[in-house]
Amino acid sequence: MTAEPAGRPTQGQEPAHVSIRGVGKTFRRGGRRTVALAGASLDVGAGELVCLLGPSGCGKSTLLRIVAGALATDEGEVTVNGQRVDGPSPDRGMLFQSPLLFPWLTTKKNVLFGPLAQRAAGLHERDDPVLDADADEILATVGLGGFGDAFPHELSGGMRHRAAFARALATRPSLLLMDEPFGALDAITRSRMHEFLIKVREQYQTTIIFVTHDIEEAVLLGDRVAVMGGRPPGIRHVTDVPLAAPRSTLDVDTESFTAVKRKIRASLEE
Amino acid sequence: MADWNTLQIVFAERAAVTADDQQELSDYRRDRRRARTQRLLIGLGSVVVLLAAWEIAAVALGDPVILPTVTATVHAFFHYFTHPYPAQAPPLWWDVVVSLRRILIGFVIGVVLGVALGAAMFANRVIRHAIDPIIEIIRPLPPLAFIPPLIVWFGIGELPKEVLLVFGVVPVMTIATLAALGEVPEDLRLCARTLGATRRYTLLHVQLRSALPAIIIGMRISMAGAWTSIVAAEMLAATSGIGYLISEAGDYLNMSIVFAGIITIAVIGLILDALLRGLLLIADPSRRS
Repeated sequence: MTAEPAGRPTQGQEPAHVSIRGVGKTFRRGGRRTVALAGASLDVGAGELVCLLGPSGCGKSTLLRIVAGALATDEGEVTVNGQRVDGPSPDRGMLFQSPLLFPWLTTKKNVLFGPLAQRAAGLHERDDPVLDADADEILATVGLGGFGDAFPHELSGGMRHRAAFARALATRPSLLLMDEPFGALDAITRSRMHEFLIKVREQYQTTIIFVTHDIEEAVLLGDRVAVMGGRPPGIRHVTDVPLAAPRSTLDVDTESFTAVKRKIRASLEE
Repeated sequence: MADWNTLQIVFAERAAVTADDQQELSDYRRDRRRARTQRLLIGLGSVVVLLAAWEIAAVALGDPVILPTVTATVHAFFHYFTHPYPAQAPPLWWDVVVSLRRILIGFVIGVVLGVALGAAMFANRVIRHAIDPIIEIIRPLPPLAFIPPLIVWFGIGELPKEVLLVFGVVPVMTIATLAALGEVPEDLRLCARTLGATRRYTLLHVQLRSALPAIIIGMRISMAGAWTSIVAAEMLAATSGIGYLISEAGDYLNMSIVFAGIITIAVIGLILDALLRGLLLIADPSRRS
């Protein structure tokens, strides 16, 4: 283990262990009750990437938002590193289908948003030059070194997603929650983002929960795949992906990859 | 533990791609600059054509009471800008100052009240349901209909004019602010919260900030309405201001001064709108070219 450079945030550097215990959620709207999730239990180990896979309405986004602390549970509880989740925290970063960059801020100021908001909340006292240098470093890391002064609307789709990634990484989360993050991208850019994510994981061992409705994406990225669905919606199966990691986007056409896909597809149909 | 620094080495191979991206960015910026120059030239050309048509029509008609020439109007503008009309009144620049002062006071009060009301309605359901019908009743009424009662209540001084402006501006700004805050995506709020922002910080730095461009567009709409109201009020019940000048000159069929007054209104309207557009560009970088 190398020493942390002075002034660098150290919180959240250790990947998180997530424990989901019998979590249920019911929405009430106009006197109608809709069970969005029932009895979901899952353990996600430190540094692991688990994909939540299923069709629309299977409760996968609901579960992700509960882990994020954006929704309260009706039953059960979620703990991250043994701490009960009861609201959003910068320790649990989130990435959405749309990059959701702040359009009035430059790329670099977007990356600085988290650190500055946390400083305003009194969570740390690092001064501007330190935060600035860190933002430059993160931007270089995601291949946006020369784009600190560009506004989000000036970036391509893939670049916007990398910028959103940089912004989420700036708070050094121990857990990243990704809600169909590449769902709106074209196939080629999407494939590049897959390679990007795989490379980020090689070096930055954060725990990731990744929501998708794409079986191939789930098998390519996940260490395990949790298949969701049913009435009431919940976690149906959890399948290990028995393929060597790290994988590359070239692996998707191999026989062993296809076999895993077939197995998961079958469990989706059950 | 992860070593953050070595990630950069992994992405060194991206350098070539980045160079392409950089080229793409500068091309994009150049194209937008070109489009902007073109837009300005076309707009300028159309104004020149309009003025030429006016001049030709005025010369052909040959009657300055029906339509003064552009040259006579411009001459009247520059002459009366510093000389009083009628003889005992203050010059045109003073009327400009008077009208502008009325507009700015009424507009600023109206905007502050409207944004505060809109934000309060957004944040609190009871306030929203209580205020909404009142706004909906006032909104379709032409502010000019309030001139007679305002004169009865407040006389013909400055107060009734400010009140008239506030009446016109508040409903527009309230609705614009409420709608703009409602348009801010829920996930943008969540995103700020997962980055460590408090609720208060998120409301100020994300929700209101995100709504700002739409609020400024509301300001542009209410500014146009405010300008109409104030000129009409000055024509009906005032002893100063541009509306008063136009009404006076009209009574004596002095059309070159009437047109000089109209052009003054147009120019000030353009300048005020340009200022708000400038504000919009500051607030919303995606509109810059």
